[in-house]
Amino acid sequence: MTLLQFDRLTVAVSGRPVLRRVTLDVAAGEAVGLVGESGSGKSMTVRSVMRLLPAGATVGGTVRFDGADVGALDAAGLRRMRSRDVAMVFQDPRAVVNPVRTVGDFLTEVLRDQGTGRSEATRRAAAALSEVGVGDAMRRLQQRPYELSGGLLQRVVIAAALLTGPRLILADEPTTALDTTTQEEVVAILAEQRRLRGTTLMFITHDLELAAAVCDRIAVMYAGEIVEILPAARLHSDARHPYTRALLGSRPGAVAPGERLRTVPGVPQSALTAPPGCVFADRCPHAEARCRDVRPVFTGSAACHLLEVL
Amino acid sequence: MLDVRDLRKEYRGAIAVDGVSFAVPAGGSLAVVGESGSGKTTCARIVTGLEKATSGTVTLHGSVQMVFQDPYQSLDRRQTVRGCLAEVLAHHGRDRSRLGELLDLVGLDRRLGDALPRQLSGGQRQRVAIARALAAEPQLLVLDEAVAALDVSIQAQILNLLVDARAATGVAYLFITHDLSVVRHVCTDVVVMSRGRVVESGPVERVLHEPEHGYTRRLVASVPRPGWVPRRAVNRD
Repeated sequence: MTLLQFDRLTVAVSGRPVLRRVTLDVAAGEAVGLVGESGSGKSMTVRSVMRLLPAGATVGGTVRFDGADVGALDAAGLRRMRSRDVAMVFQDPRAVVNPVRTVGDFLTEVLRDQGTGRSEATRRAAAALSEVGVGDAMRRLQQRPYELSGGLLQRVVIAAALLTGPRLILADEPTTALDTTTQEEVVAILAEQRRLRGTTLMFITHDLELAAAVCDRIAVMYAGEIVEILPAARLHSDARHPYTRALLGSRPGAVAPGERLRTVPGVPQSALTAPPGCVFADRCPHAEARCRDVRPVFTGSAACHLLEVL
Repeated sequence: MLDVRDLRKEYRGAIAVDGVSFAVPAGGSLAVVGESGSGKTTCARIVTGLEKATSGTVTLHGSVQMVFQDPYQSLDRRQTVRGCLAEVLAHHGRDRSRLGELLDLVGLDRRLGDALPRQLSGGQRQRVAIARALAAEPQLLVLDEAVAALDVSIQAQILNLLVDARAATGVAYLFITHDLSVVRHVCTDVVVMSRGRVVESGPVERVLHEPEHGYTRRLVASVPRPGWVPRRAVNRD
C-alpha cells in the first residue's frame, strides 16, 4: 500500500523553481533515502509533506498522504497530520527544542494537548526516553536542553517523534551534526523502532553509504529533480545515472589511498541554474548534444538519455 | 619541523588537553582525529598561537598558516580575491606577481580575481582560503575541518588540490578532522584523541586497519560503508 505519494510535485519560491516534477511513491513501512548535494531539493521535498514551505512558495502537482491531498487539507486536518500522523526530525536538535523549558515539558506537550493526564504523559515520556537508549529518564525529564549533549538531545527529539505513534517519520539530515559513533547509535535506534512499529521513513542525507545502510530504496536528487531511484542493496552494483556514479566515485574511500579522487567538474547546480535539457548535462562526462537540449524522461529507474550505452 | 610536547590546557578547572605529544616532519602530513570535545581543535589553536597552553611546549621550525572549516567567516566580505591575496603577499614581502600562480595552484580561474566572497561558491571560497594560507609560503598548514562543510563532489576537488599543493610546495599538513576516509586519503600518520588525551598514534595504514585501542576500533567501526549494519552500543547515553 502506498502511504505517501509525490505526483509531479513542482515548487517555486518567488518565481524561482526549486523542485521540478518530483514523482515518488513510498510504501507503508518502507524506508526511502533522499540523497543529493546542497540545493538539490531534498529538504523542500519532505517539507512539502508537512506544508512547511517558505512564504511565497507556489506548488504544482500533488502530495498525497494516505490517499488525501495534503494541499487540500483544512487547518484541523493539517494540525492532525502534523501532531499525530507525521513526525519530523531535523539536523539541529537545539533549533527544535525550547531552550527554556524542560525536556519533560517538550516531550509531554503533544500528549497533554491530546488530552492525556499529566502523570500518564510523564510515564510515557520516560518510557520513550528509555526506548531510545537514554538512561536515568526521570532525571533527564527535569533537565533543560543546554544540560544535554547534541547526541543526547537528538535522541530526545527522536523520542518525541515516536511518542505519538506516527505512521511516517521525515528525518532531514538527523545525524549530520553528530559524531560518527553517535550517528551509528541514532540510526540504529531509528532502524530498531521502524522494525518494531512498522513506521515509514524518509531519510535525507548527503551520505550515500549511510542512506544505503538505513533505507530500502534510494532516490538521488540533483537540481530539484529525482534523477535515479534504486534499491539500497544494489547501490554500488546497479547505479546507472552518471550523477549517482559520480557521487559514488568522488568519496575519498572510493579509491586506494594515494590515487586521485575522481572529481565532477563544476559546481552543483540548483533548479534555477540547471540547463534546459538534462539537469546534469553541463557536468556530465558523457553528455551529448541532445542531453543539453532535450529533457530526458524518467524511466522508472533513472532520467538519462544514455542509459542504453552507459 | 613541528614538535608538540606534553601539551596541557585547562579552562576554569576543566581539562581540555591532557599530556598531548606529537610531531610533524618537514613536508609530512599528520592527522589529528577525534570526536567533538576530544581536544583536537584546541591543539590546533595552540599550535597556531590562537590560544596559550597551560603547560607543555610547541617547537616550530618555520612559519604556520591555518585554514578553517567555514571560509565564509574567515574571508573579508568586502575584499576581492585579488585584494585578499595581494595583502598577504605584501605583508610577507613576496612579489605580487605570484598572485596568478597562486590562483593556478588552487585551481581558481584567474578571471575570478575581482570577485567578492559572496559571488563565489563554497568550494571556490575554500580555494581562496587555501591560496591565502599558501601565499605566505608557510612550512606548515593547519587545516581545521577544512573540507567538512563541502559537498561530496567539491570535497573531492579540494582533497586532490591539497595533495597537489603539498607535492608542489613541500608544505607540511596538520589535518584536524573527524572524517577517517579523508585521513586515509591525505595523511601518512595519525593521532587519535579522546577526552583530551592521545589514545593511539602511528602510520594511517596501521592505525585504521589494525586499531589497537578500543576507542579507535569503535571509531573505525562506526564509519558507514558497503555492508555496514549500524549497532547500538551497550550502556551508553
